[in-house]
Amino acid sequence: MNPFLTQCRASFEAQATLEGAVGRERRQAEWTRFEALGWPTTRLEDWKYTALSGLEKLSLHSTAESREAGKDGPPELTLEEVPAPRLVFVDGLFQPALSMLEGLPEGVHLRFWSELDAPARERFAQKMVPARSLTAFGALNGALVTEGIWITVDAGCALEIPLHLVKVSQTGQRMSHGALLLEMGEDSELVLQEHCVGNTDQPTHSNWVTAVELAPRARLTLVKVQKEGILSYHTAALHALQRAGSRLQVFSFALSGALGRNDITLRLIEPHAECVLKGVYRVADRALQDFHTSIEHDSPHCTSDECFKGVLDGTGKAVFNGRVRVALDAQKTASRQSNHNLLLSDKAEVNTKPQLEILADDVQCSHGTTVGQLDEEQWFYLRTRGIAADLARTLLIQAFTLEISEAIPHAGVRAAVRRLLGGTTEENGHV
Amino acid sequence: MLSIRNLQASVGDKPILKGINLDVKAGEVHAIMGPNGSGKSTLSNVLAGRENATVTGGSVTYQGKDLLALAVEERAREGVFLAFQYPVEIPGVGNVYLLKAALNAQRKHRGLPELDAMDFLALVKDKMKLMEMNESMLYRAVNEGFSGGEKKRNEILQMVVLEPCLAILDETDSGLDIDALKVVSHGVNSLRSPDRAMILVTHYQRLLDYIKPDFVHVLSDGRIQRSGGPELALELEREGYAWVGDAGNEGAVTP
Ligand SMILES: Nc1ncnc2c1ncn2[C@@H]1O[C@H](COP(=O)(O)OP(=O)(O)OP(=O)(O)O)[C@@H](O)[C@H]1O
Ligand SMILES: [Mg+2]
Repeated sequence: MNPFLTQCRASFEAQATLEGAVGRERRQAEWTRFEALGWPTTRLEDWKYTALSGLEKLSLHSTAESREAGKDGPPELTLEEVPAPRLVFVDGLFQPALSMLEGLPEGVHLRFWSELDAPARERFAQKMVPARSLTAFGALNGALVTEGIWITVDAGCALEIPLHLVKVSQTGQRMSHGALLLEMGEDSELVLQEHCVGNTDQPTHSNWVTAVELAPRARLTLVKVQKEGILSYHTAALHALQRAGSRLQVFSFALSGALGRNDITLRLIEPHAECVLKGVYRVADRALQDFHTSIEHDSPHCTSDECFKGVLDGTGKAVFNGRVRVALDAQKTASRQSNHNLLLSDKAEVNTKPQLEILADDVQCSHGTTVGQLDEEQWFYLRTRGIAADLARTLLIQAFTLEISEAIPHAGVRAAVRRLLGGTTEENGHV
Repeated sequence: MLSIRNLQASVGDKPILKGINLDVKAGEVHAIMGPNGSGKSTLSNVLAGRENATVTGGSVTYQGKDLLALAVEERAREGVFLAFQYPVEIPGVGNVYLLKAALNAQRKHRGLPELDAMDFLALVKDKMKLMEMNESMLYRAVNEGFSGGEKKRNEILQMVVLEPCLAILDETDSGLDIDALKVVSHGVNSLRSPDRAMILVTHYQRLLDYIKPDFVHVLSDGRIQRSGGPELALELEREGYAWVGDAGNEGAVTP
């Protein structure tokens, strides 16, 4: 067993003893499943280009063993930018003092896993199964979970302002295993912005799992910005189930850290459901970002629109694996997928793989992949107007990913993301 | 203002400019004509600092400075402006953003305070009126989806906003309809002044009816083969370029 697994086992055993019989059994089942799946290595197809050797060497503790997290609070700057209503988690534990829940309408219900009784926890766990089944880290999440939040939005309830979820990796040598369950009632509407931030230069591991269910005609926008510390490891799984006429828009920005791996599965299980899945990954020296996405058209008349853009610098690496499956009876499916990469260095590397499995015949599906460099002609043009070489480069890099952030439907969230992506040239966003 | 001496440049190992000599004084307008592929755009680009043609010999002095030693953006801030023959589209970079960043970079370089958003917009809207451009173009990405003529107009808009000392217009008239040609010429003429100079690259005498040059040069096979007054353009219009090569001048006659 590598140091990482040894410590995981210790954490699992410590946490299991704190539970009643049902909880213990659940954790044990998840741990057994984790062991059966085995530690992901590059010998597995899904992990071929994503080596976890850096993580294996780390001995990280789970916060639940001590429960003293967040005493110093997360970086003030980060929180000031995040308005209410917001839920703040530090090292995987909920922080009531840092959270602000005013502005939440009555139709939005929050329940915390730590406060659930054993049968409710079991129901919660049942609903997390599909999300926790996406990778071995999902099973690990089930065995080591420290906190969870169960959000239900009543039928017809539409939240005007975005709900913020702040996940802070505060302490070095820590791992956090949180779970989010989001159930959207019929015709309900919500914008959820997730901020994953770091406040330490020490290694951390964040391993959250999110399960989403959209009832007919529900509308949900999920925007995740991951900007953790330079030595952070980030694994995350999102599983969504969409019923008739529902619309889900997912935006994911993976901007920093040593290694990030996002597994996203969106299932369109009833007619006329729509999903949008867009993202940006940026890597610099020694960093890796990996998106494994799967859009499953199980029902006719559904649409999916997927686009990921990557910016790779230095010795950075990225992986994009985009699976789209159209079931035999999912006629009239419209599906688009694209992945575009900008290589800023000749040492950067991207492995991109569209994976289309189309069984129905009356469908419109397209996909496209590009890997290119900064356009010399555009760069020259900007400089002939007096723009400094560096700024011209930054502008063009920004321009490359702008299309993704500009597609965010909520103006406030869009502006916030633009800021996080931008730096000096946020003014340029208004194109 | 500008003094080009025996300038030579190659693309790969193919010589394109084979010894250009040209003097441009403040207040002057020079037209450069010449057959396709003779090196007119290469010359324009080398002056602006493009590196895909390598300078292999000669010198360029601009306002007493070694122009070739300056970075592209430094040349621009020193007042050199190139209106491109084929302006590039830059999706994701706003036209208005570029104009403002460009103007303020230049002002900063000259030790002037940057313009705030209000003053800047007032200035740009004024110049857009001059260019008879729709304001909505400000809020589009640089040249993205612009028609050929709109791109050329946008180049001249940038020029009248930046008020360069030395403007190099590479076939700005190509692709313009008659009305647009008048508007663009009007924009260019509005900038003519005793302390500014212009180099117009063109294939057509027609442009020179609107913007009267002081000198006309014929560039052919990488050299200035003939130089003269405005009447040279008329002669070229009648006779074409066939006779130019025959002149076979050793080193061009520069005014
Ligand atoms: N990247 C390149 N590779 C090879 N040849 C090139 C390259 N760029 C320019 N050339 C050549 O250099 C020569 C001069 O080109 P240039 O664009 O300067 O001509 P021009 O006088 O502007 O022509 P036009 O009137 O058609 O605009 C041409 O023969 C052209 O093919
Ligand atoms: Mg040309």
